[in-house]
Amino acid sequence: MFSLSQRFQQTSNQALSFAIFAAAFVVATFWAQLYMENAFHLSSSVSNVKPSINVRTSRYYGSINGKPKENLKVSFDLNADLAPLFNWNTKQVFVYVTAAYNGKLKPGVKSEVTLWDSIITDKESSQISLSNMKSKYSIWDVEEKLSERELTLKLHWNIQPWIGSLVYGETEGQSTVLIPQSQSTQKTKVKATQ
Amino acid sequence: MNLRLELTRFLNLWFALASAFMFWKGLSIVTDSHSPIVVVLSGSMEPAFQRGDILFLWNRNTYSKVGDIVVYEVDGKDIPIVHRVLREHVDERSGKQLLLTKGDNNAGNDIPLYAKRKVYLNKEKDIVGTVKGYIPQLGYVTIWISENRYAKMGLMALIGLSALLSNE
Repeated sequence: MFSLSQRFQQTSNQALSFAIFAAAFVVATFWAQLYMENAFHLSSSVSNVKPSINVRTSRYYGSINGKPKENLKVSFDLNADLAPLFNWNTKQVFVYVTAAYNGKLKPGVKSEVTLWDSIITDKESSQISLSNMKSKYSIWDVEEKLSERELTLKLHWNIQPWIGSLVYGETEGQSTVLIPQSQSTQKTKVKATQ
Repeated sequence: MNLRLELTRFLNLWFALASAFMFWKGLSIVTDSHSPIVVVLSGSMEPAFQRGDILFLWNRNTYSKVGDIVVYEVDGKDIPIVHRVLREHVDERSGKQLLLTKGDNNAGNDIPLYAKRKVYLNKEKDIVGTVKGYIPQLGYVTIWISENRYAKMGLMALIGLSALLSNE
């Protein structure tokens, strides 16, 4: 009772179960290697953090109807060795520095924002050593002002695998800094442009 | 021509369709997302995700984190978008979370993609799910079928033929 369709079904079933088994093997060894190399407790250092405030009135900087909006830029030093994140199932690692802070008018509002990010595709460039790096994004808050808040900076990573689950983690080592008040000169400048 | 056999065959076909539907809806309930498996259509998250990759979503998290890759829907557009969370603001009193997203391969944030006058996404309303798992390229079949008329007809013919020719 063998027919072409039966034969086809058998072969495709076999191929499917082999593919599932192979994928499971890859994912299992991937996680085992991450734990063995202590990938979830990597150290990093974020230092020399210098925040500065600019007042913007463009809608591309969060301003609504030309109302002044405080924007934050940060420069920082960053050192980390992310080599343990690279093994045979790592397609790329997305690294990002975030800043966490609390609301001022509404202290119950907790925020976290990305200051800088980068994509690393090979182990050779997994040593991060940046000095006086400027934040990639200009940050504005849901509130109009962002000055005089405490920022906590941290380096996070995310592995995109060739197959299987995405892996997230944060490095140990963080830095806290207070955002200074915006300077009055900037305020007058804004008034002049309005 | 055996009527009983024909009817059994018909019943089996419906049984197969119904179980596929049940599997999909069951997965929807487990993940709390109306489309728990999606196929990437654009290159805005390259090199992480390419066109045709399959993504598995999970939507039982109360809040998204910065760095999460989320799938969201915009009012008035039927194609969901897969991008990364760039900023998040949680109001712990009301439980509402605002998100700003960006594609890894795009230069700017997603505000131009959002519905008119919207500058943030709402976690509860707009997010379809967070990407948890990934299978490369396999989803290309569905893109090929939905975008190529002949492929669609060929597939229909193949299903029809196999239904007619198969016995037991």
